[in-house]
Amino acid sequence: MMTNGVVHANVFGIKDWVTPYKISVLALLYEMTASKITLPERRRLNKLILPLQQGPDLTLGQFLQTVEECCSQTAYAVKLRLHEMADGELKDMEYFFSTLPTPFTAFDSEAYKTSVVGLFMRHMLLAYNKLSFSQVYKLYRSLQHYYHNTVGDRADKEEMDIPLHESELRGPLSQKQAEYFLARQAYLLKNDENKALKPAALQEELNNMLKFNPDFAEAHYLNYLNSMRVQDIFLSAHSLLHYFDRLILSGNEGKSNGDEGYGRSLRYAALNLASLHCRFGHYRQADLALQEAIRIAQESNDHVCLQHCLSWLYTLEQMKGSDSTVLTEDSVKMAAHFCLPYLASLGIQSLVQQGATQGKTAHKLMDALKDTDILHWKHSLSELIEISLAQTTSIWRMYGKSTMALQQAQLLLNISSLEPVNFGVQQNNTEAFAVALCHLAELHAEQGLYSAVSEIIQHLKEQFPPHTQHAKLWMLCDLKIQFERHMNEGKYHLAEPLVTAISALNKTEGLYRKAQVLKALNRSTEAYRILQQLQVHCEKTKCTEMVIRVMLSTAELHWESSGFSTALPLLLQALALARQHHLQSLASEAILHLAFTQLMLGVPEQALTVLHEAIEPVLAHGAVMDKGRTMLLAARCQMAVAGFRPNRQGQAVLAVDTLNEAAAYFSKLNCKERLRDVHYLQAQLHHALGQTLQRNKSAMLFRLLDQELQSPAPPVSMQL
Amino acid sequence: MKMAALCSEFGNLVDIKKQLISVISLCKERGLLHSAKWASELAFALDPLPKDELPPSPPFTEDDAQDLDALTLAKSYFDLKEYDRAAYFLKGCCSQKAYFLYMYSRYLSGEKKKDDETVDSLGPLEKGQVRNEALRELRVELSKKHTAGELDGFTLYLYGVVLRKLDLLKEAVDVFVEAVHALPLHWGAWLELSNLVTNIEMLKSLSLPDCWIKDFFMAHMYTELQMIKEALQKYQNLIEAGFSKSTYIISQIAVAYHNIRDIDQALALFNELREQDPYRIDNMDTFSNLLYVKSMKPELSYLAHNLVEIDKYRVETCCVIGNYYSLRSQHEKAALYFQRALKLNPRCLGAWTLMGHEYMEMKNTSAAIQAYRHAIEVNKRDYRAWYGLGQTYEILKMPFYCLYYYRKAHQLRPNDSRMLVALGESYEKLSQQVEAKKCYWRAYSVGDVEKMALLKLAKLHEQLNESDDAAQCYMLYIQDIFSCGEQLEHAEVSTALRYLGQYYFKSKLYDEASLCAQRCCDYNDAREEGKALLRQISQVRDQIETPSADLFAPLSNNNTPVRRVSPLNLISFTP
Repeated sequence: MMTNGVVHANVFGIKDWVTPYKISVLALLYEMTASKITLPERRRLNKLILPLQQGPDLTLGQFLQTVEECCSQTAYAVKLRLHEMADGELKDMEYFFSTLPTPFTAFDSEAYKTSVVGLFMRHMLLAYNKLSFSQVYKLYRSLQHYYHNTVGDRADKEEMDIPLHESELRGPLSQKQAEYFLARQAYLLKNDENKALKPAALQEELNNMLKFNPDFAEAHYLNYLNSMRVQDIFLSAHSLLHYFDRLILSGNEGKSNGDEGYGRSLRYAALNLASLHCRFGHYRQADLALQEAIRIAQESNDHVCLQHCLSWLYTLEQMKGSDSTVLTEDSVKMAAHFCLPYLASLGIQSLVQQGATQGKTAHKLMDALKDTDILHWKHSLSELIEISLAQTTSIWRMYGKSTMALQQAQLLLNISSLEPVNFGVQQNNTEAFAVALCHLAELHAEQGLYSAVSEIIQHLKEQFPPHTQHAKLWMLCDLKIQFERHMNEGKYHLAEPLVTAISALNKTEGLYRKAQVLKALNRSTEAYRILQQLQVHCEKTKCTEMVIRVMLSTAELHWESSGFSTALPLLLQALALARQHHLQSLASEAILHLAFTQLMLGVPEQALTVLHEAIEPVLAHGAVMDKGRTMLLAARCQMAVAGFRPNRQGQAVLAVDTLNEAAAYFSKLNCKERLRDVHYLQAQLHHALGQTLQRNKSAMLFRLLDQELQSPAPPVSMQL
Repeated sequence: MKMAALCSEFGNLVDIKKQLISVISLCKERGLLHSAKWASELAFALDPLPKDELPPSPPFTEDDAQDLDALTLAKSYFDLKEYDRAAYFLKGCCSQKAYFLYMYSRYLSGEKKKDDETVDSLGPLEKGQVRNEALRELRVELSKKHTAGELDGFTLYLYGVVLRKLDLLKEAVDVFVEAVHALPLHWGAWLELSNLVTNIEMLKSLSLPDCWIKDFFMAHMYTELQMIKEALQKYQNLIEAGFSKSTYIISQIAVAYHNIRDIDQALALFNELREQDPYRIDNMDTFSNLLYVKSMKPELSYLAHNLVEIDKYRVETCCVIGNYYSLRSQHEKAALYFQRALKLNPRCLGAWTLMGHEYMEMKNTSAAIQAYRHAIEVNKRDYRAWYGLGQTYEILKMPFYCLYYYRKAHQLRPNDSRMLVALGESYEKLSQQVEAKKCYWRAYSVGDVEKMALLKLAKLHEQLNESDDAAQCYMLYIQDIFSCGEQLEHAEVSTALRYLGQYYFKSKLYDEASLCAQRCCDYNDAREEGKALLRQISQVRDQIETPSADLFAPLSNNNTPVRRVSPLNLISFTP
């Protein structure tokens, strides 16, 4: 059969073929209409019909067992009917088909022509009637084979003792079954990868499918998706191109322009190729492919495709690290014009992300997100709702509002899926969930709740196994938490190897952490060099958060060489930058540094007033470590002030309280070095106050810790 | 040294002839027609034996005598393709010959039924599932006998075939090796083995019997593995050893020359072949490909008509007719004949690719893509199909997309300049000049068949204002064109000369410039410019000659380009 000069494999255009398994399903349906079954049993059987129709061919044993679980009486009847056919003659099968209730006449039965069952029966009858003489006989033979394989004696199996290829044992899928299988797996790959088949198993399934039906193009596409999972660029490119080569054939009908025809699939082929290269980080290749897609789309006036290209273009620009705000804005406008809500709000989300890093005001961002949310709920774009929530979490965290971030993350994690397939299931494993969970883990780590953190990480590990796409997110998060923990506990030798791992995942972060370790190990020159390098890099890429952090670290380096006055301009600059970008936690950190510098420069009153500005946000939102450091600094300021004032008693008592509070925070984190400082100061204070008993106790605690740590204590004054 | 050994090995042509004659009768008795044909062809190429030298007929055992009647009956049924009937009457016979024929009939009966069933299978999904049902039983029986060591050379061969059909390739290779050891003269076993050897390492690892026929096998293998030089050497040795009249060897050499695109040699050999064996149909599709490439219409037409008279329902005939129509630009008809060839043999690789080419000519890109994809499905290593796919996408103006396909083709034929030039062109379209330059240079280095790479490279350099490199390329290009002797249609010598003239003029090398300008005047399209340049040169020379000599010397020294290029200085150039 030829169309457009192309040989079609599917001669009759029939998608369904009668197989012995289908005959058994027909027999089941027949029994269900014919015999009296109790209501609960009927209900169970009814629930079974759809999976049986859509699933792959089962062996008779499996089939009968499934039916028997619902209704043993029907299973027996079905078996009997099959037995009649298989042990009888060809005419028994012919008789069976002639007795089936014809969907066109049975008005009041379930098998009426428009019902699911009726449709299936019509398909089967049509397919059966089209069989040729020898095909009917062949069908009968295979039915006999099918029946006797399960039920009959297995004596004749003995001679087949030579192991067969596994693929030989598995039967082919029918068109419908294959489509269902592919759709299901593709959906799972997108939304809940863990429930999909393992990459190797899926590959085998697909190979099997393609072996029996090489013309089934969609299988190639799934193959492409599957290869992407295991980061196999070679196979995924191959499958993608193969799929589109096939698709171009199926969508022929001659129109090369416009919405239909193979011109369309050509454009999307190029676009998909671009996305493939993008996924593997080949930005230059992706760019070329994208340009090609854009050119073809422009030539054929396909605005929708162009719009998709545009949104890929700004994504690509972003990934390459250049500013793409203008492009994104254009894209949003165009998408709104062509009524593509998905692309429009995706663009807005991207704009919000860029805006957040560039220091747009918070209310503008939140407004934009709220507007898109309305759009999402209207169109039930559940995926975008998830992204939106995750984004809000990230923005709140960036601003240093941990409570708000926590609340948004919880909101996302408790949301129920809107997708029809996974309806009611609480979690998918999309990127949004990974991001939210990572934030949750970091937030808990900040509060020193390490057992909760390890639980969350464990959950992440299960949800996003290491080979999957989003696994890098939690890997980095896990490493960062571990690093912070080791640094807080003063175990620098444990933190150092983590730096390499962090660098592998994120170069900038890795460099920063390396500088921190070097600083802690007193290798200031190296640390300074790295920080300089980092600052230049971050200013180029407009990574404000990192710039501020680098400035603070540099200032700390200046302290070590007692260059307190040189640190001041840096700190002020950092503070200004943090305030400009509304980064509250970093601003408080900068204030802390500033206060410390002032303390060191001998203006404790000034330091105390500056510090008061930061205490409130830190206590409200900050990490435990920050709280402890703030209290320690406050106490030191108070002590210094007390040194000058006549009514020293009052300030000193205040300082005792503050120190106690700081000690509580530090002991929560097991931060022994700082705890030692606290005890030292306590002992001094008590001494000054003449409280010998408390002094001795503090001194003893100090001595114990000092022995344990064994490293010579750095001068108390030198550390924040 | 090697030659001498070979000669001594082949020294006794009489012995070889005797062996061939005896194996022919053995094959014939067993219905192995193709092997018999091959051996007969080879035997025919050797001098006839005197009467008393003829080999005696093989010994007649008790078993043979017992089975004689059944065997004769079965053989006549077998010849009439009534395989089941033949097998029925052979059941219970115990001689080796009868046993082979019994098993072989069962195998062929299964194959025949399989072919018949593909027509009315139970749907497209069963397409891949139709298989020879007899294979498993045959395997069980044969493997029992095999472990007992009761199989002779022919039954081992059959066992190997059964294993191969069951996709048990590793076991099949072992069995075929065993078969050629047991009966080295049976060419069919060698041929089956050659289909299973995929690379040279595997070939080297096989332990093959030391027999004169091994040389034929090795030569065949080298051709299959695209190691043409080695193959030609082998065949040359065989000819020198006394097989000069063998049509088989001539055809194989011709195919080898075709594979390395030495068209004239191949054509000459094919013509010789047709003189010796005018009714031959095998390999004639390759011959027609050559005629097509050379655009030899009358010869192709003659060949097509001749073949139609011999047998019009052969795949080769259909391909030849397809080529004939394609050359006459009747692409619809050409596609029709390629389709007919595919109906005759759906696994005919060449026809799929050629059909793709026809659809390309008809601008039916989607059908072309399908045809090429089919070709790839039949053989993943078909570089022409990959190349064709690349071309299709290039026509659809998707230069980036087609890169993948060209790369695939290039992978399969790393030393074929056409793929490299195509790759270069695509890169050029994507304005990736660095890659494009690399491709063109490599294309030139591996021996450019179309002589286009250098010209393109030169133009690319010209675009990038790398005038030294451009001039160098043009120079090489001119040398290349003139050294190959024949006139090429698309040669752009005039462009090269024009550029060189200007280049020398700018670098103030007036002698060279005027030489180029003069040569320019030989070409119509560059004559005016050549004359203009000559005039300019003479003007400048007049100006220079008027001032005093000592003023001229430093001036010319200063203006000599720092890097004066000698045409063969390629060191700075290697990309």
